[in-house]
Amino acid sequence: MNEHSRVLERDKLNIAEPPSDVDLRLPVQVPREPYPIETLTPDARQQTRAVGQRATRPDGRLHGLGQTKYIDDLSFPGMLYARIKRAGIASARIKRIDTSAAEAMPGVMAVLTGKEIPTNSFGPTFQDQPVLADPIVRHAGDGVAAVAALTEQIANEALDKIVVEYEPLPAVLDPVAAMREDAPKVHAPDSNIYATKVIRKGDIEKGFAESDHIFEGRYSTQMIEHVSLEPHAAIADWDANGRLTIWATIGRITLARSDIARTLKLPMSRIRIVGTIVGGNFGGKNEISQEPALALLSKKTGRPVKGVFTRGEEFTATTTRHPIIMDYKTGVTKKGRILARQIRLVLDGGAYCSWSATTLGKACILSPGPYKIDNVVAEAFVVYTNKTMTGAMRGFGAPQVCFAYESQMDDIAKALKLDPLEIRMLNAFDEGSSSPTGQVLHSVVVKESLRKAAERFGWEPRS
Amino acid sequence: MKRRGRGIACMWYPIGFTVDANPSAATVKVNEDGTATVLTGTVETGQGSLTVLGQIAAEALGIATDDVHVVSADTDTTPMDTGAIASRTTYVTGNAIWLAAEAAKAILFETAAPMLGVKVSQLEAKDRKIQVKNFPQRNVSIGDVARRSQVVIGQPAIGSASWNPPTVAMDPETGQGKPFATYVYATQIAEVDVDDETGEVEILRIAAAHDCGTAINPMLVEGQVEGGISMGVGMALQEEMLFDANGRHVNPNLTNYIMPTSLDMPEITVDIVQGFDPTGPFGAKGVGEPTAVPTSAAVLNAIHDAVGVRVTSLPATSEKVLTAIKAKRAAEQKQIPA
Repeated sequence: MNEHSRVLERDKLNIAEPPSDVDLRLPVQVPREPYPIETLTPDARQQTRAVGQRATRPDGRLHGLGQTKYIDDLSFPGMLYARIKRAGIASARIKRIDTSAAEAMPGVMAVLTGKEIPTNSFGPTFQDQPVLADPIVRHAGDGVAAVAALTEQIANEALDKIVVEYEPLPAVLDPVAAMREDAPKVHAPDSNIYATKVIRKGDIEKGFAESDHIFEGRYSTQMIEHVSLEPHAAIADWDANGRLTIWATIGRITLARSDIARTLKLPMSRIRIVGTIVGGNFGGKNEISQEPALALLSKKTGRPVKGVFTRGEEFTATTTRHPIIMDYKTGVTKKGRILARQIRLVLDGGAYCSWSATTLGKACILSPGPYKIDNVVAEAFVVYTNKTMTGAMRGFGAPQVCFAYESQMDDIAKALKLDPLEIRMLNAFDEGSSSPTGQVLHSVVVKESLRKAAERFGWEPRS
Repeated sequence: MKRRGRGIACMWYPIGFTVDANPSAATVKVNEDGTATVLTGTVETGQGSLTVLGQIAAEALGIATDDVHVVSADTDTTPMDTGAIASRTTYVTGNAIWLAAEAAKAILFETAAPMLGVKVSQLEAKDRKIQVKNFPQRNVSIGDVARRSQVVIGQPAIGSASWNPPTVAMDPETGQGKPFATYVYATQIAEVDVDDETGEVEILRIAAAHDCGTAINPMLVEGQVEGGISMGVGMALQEEMLFDANGRHVNPNLTNYIMPTSLDMPEITVDIVQGFDPTGPFGAKGVGEPTAVPTSAAVLNAIHDAVGVRVTSLPATSEKVLTAIKAKRAAEQKQIPA
């Protein structure tokens, strides 16, 4: 008997036929009657050639049975509840914060203001956002103080007892107005235009000169919230060894750890971030928010501290989708070939940068559309306004510019009496086409997607 | 009267993002019973990414989805990851997991080669076995090999790897460069009814054809497309954060911030466009964000087709659509000579 088979023999003695997946599951009490799920035979999860299988999600069962543990389902002994007082004013200087009445309330364990945060700024690109505003409030959703209390109700009541005296400052809400030199500066003395991007390809003037028709249009989009089912939530636990553990609804734990280390001036080795199962991100949970405040409240009280944003805070105090004002000028031949496209984008960047620089870049690069255009100029600006900050959201500026370039595409088609499908097939990228940034594109299937969707829809050209 | 219209919109979208590097690292551990555990720093945010990442590891190791358990999102234990952002998880994290699984598999092959009396290069992992290429009857189970690697050879089958998409920085003056490693493409076509007396728009159906390279899990791709369309519907017709003159948000609640419910959803058909990207794991790219990109454009083009008005600011609320219809009628009446 060789060494190899001896090992196998030993294991055969000890390990019986392994129990099936069903045997290992927790007995489920609700629903009592087995739910009539159609059993797929053979089960996609059991197939070897795993790629391409319509495998069910292992977490789907837990979601369906209400067993998934989101932050709000987690609790630790002695845990406190935190709430953050929001400014409610778009632009102001904090003159004075009086927290004494709140601190005197029974059940309030700690109160925190911006002055107590070691490095009171964060952000994925520019560190321009405070954890708690001090002393400048730049949008109504800025936090100005945080409370940790025995219950959420007490924490809420304590917020009302905190007195904040503001000196109102002029606010700028319109991004175009914010670009003017005499506009109030959101981050004085810096310009409100905080990032720009430009793409130049070919000769735009020549392209327009050679065009038979020029189309111009202005398109604009609105501010949108992600509205994840689960709000931003976190629990911070600063232990007796000075090691901080944070359970959080964050899509980027690596970045979160370095941001939290920076704000708290704490070595990274003392911080552990656990990303829980997140009830929807869509870009809204790509950066830290209340976590440093919860950590400091935990340090002050020696207890774990939980913070869960209200739906209102989700709107006013977290990132949103950029409103964009988009000017398109497009030169085409009689037959509908696009020769030149000039684009100017103004992104409403809200009070803080967040993921605006990334959104600006993507919107600018994608703005000419998936079309072969030899002459392109695209300029994009993102500006501060005294509104909720805009940041990452599913598409990073792409849904906005797609609305613009595809609206204009149909206007061009209509004017030239071309079918909307036909004009797109005429201009769409092919394998090896050059993108507006001069990148040679590979695995390009935009025409296949047009054909496939048209076939499924039953698109027939109208005469 | 209700007027029917159709609108088409196509799009392109990059996988990953431009700012700095965009890496992921991963560890794949093959257990003594032939199952595997994947460690990744990405976060499951509801999209099913952990399922897809498990499928990638399973495919590389020749085992089933059920044989892989994915552990994620703990800075103390899981490898660095740029995160669940920018439609990058399947492509970037997937590539890292694939490479890590290949590294673990290389250890298994080293153990299996003498067991089967062949060279490492002659082996393949398939159907939970390590077998000789073209001679599948000459095989050992992956569990036996993993156990031998660990217990006899003393080299557990664990692989770690990282991957970063190749990009070229953009020129600051001209923007020329290779900002993204790859792109996906998609088309959505919407059919709507527009009530020309009230401006109300009902989206009847949307045909969506999306490219994601290889669909690692077609069911989850379909789920992403349907979810993305629901966001696109809200953007097209309903959702808008409104501020008063003092900069205070006036509708920070779901009573006054209207978003689509299941009752507002059109009938959706999803087609996955056949594609293969040689730079992705098993040819995969990504699908998360692009699904929300063309919807509002397609819907607004359908409104234009139905009633002949071009609404240029989103959302196309009933008020905006009706105002545009009235303006069009007024303009047309003026053209009639007296």
